[in-house]
Amino acid sequence: MTTNTQIPVKLYFEDVEVDTELPPLTKSPITHLQLVRYAGASGDFNPLHTDPKIGEAIGTGGIIAHGMLIMGFLGQLLSDYVGPTALRKFDVRFKNMTRLDDVITCTGKITSKTEVDGETLISGKIQAADQNGDVKASGTFTALAPHRKEN
Amino acid sequence: MFDTSRVGESFPPFKIQVERGKIRELAIAVGDDNPIYQSVEAAQAAGYNDIPLFPTAPTIFQFWGNTQMLKNLLDLGLNVMGILHGEEEFEYLAPIQNGDTLTGTTKLRDGKSRKGPNGSSMDILNLETSYSNQHGQVVLIARETIIVRG
Repeated sequence: MTTNTQIPVKLYFEDVEVDTELPPLTKSPITHLQLVRYAGASGDFNPLHTDPKIGEAIGTGGIIAHGMLIMGFLGQLLSDYVGPTALRKFDVRFKNMTRLDDVITCTGKITSKTEVDGETLISGKIQAADQNGDVKASGTFTALAPHRKEN
Repeated sequence: MFDTSRVGESFPPFKIQVERGKIRELAIAVGDDNPIYQSVEAAQAAGYNDIPLFPTAPTIFQFWGNTQMLKNLLDLGLNVMGILHGEEEFEYLAPIQNGDTLTGTTKLRDGKSRKGPNGSSMDILNLETSYSNQHGQVVLIARETIIVRG
């Protein structure tokens, strides 16, 4: 292997079919500490994610998680599945607020396999839902998945 | 309510250096314990040159890179305490590596302001940030929709 390989292949085009499900990812319950840590890491210091008094004052009923933390969980799902450098597009729509102690499970499914300009791409839909099945975020992704070379 | 006449405007560009320590910190905060985000050795053993970009690492560029964003939004007349994140999209166009210097330019692509009952309002804004690297190559586009209750 050369050291300038930018895209280690985790998933080949032949490995998936339309409707193949991604291995689900269940995260630990959301804690206040995690939100403080995420605020520092991301730089999003909006106090409604860290200060319970603000949450009560603006009517969200306590602190709510950063939407981008939930997208981060979906990012982990995709990183585990295709690897971070294979991603071409990743989008989510935030549906509901996530609160402390929520347990988020990320799932996904392949929706298409295409070949564009000599690149083989897979696309899928993804979602993050809590312990009650309440969907917090849903979206799509497209990633590079090269052909498996025959030896 | 915000000043809808400013749709189409770009905010002043900002610069951010890609740092592996910040990527590592983000992965830890998300709770992703994949060793490729924790050490260069583990990343190289997995075939990467360096610690790779965590998929949502562009959020670091936005918040730590564009320290004027809050001011920019205030200048539009938005109630920044009422901001909710509606959608986020990343389009990864070329590799981004530790040590790269990115220049980001955020544009207000679209926006609507709706009047609600009792003098309330709801603003929906579409922002797009284009990032180019030190070689002038566009490497990433981030698009977001924010919803602001005023």
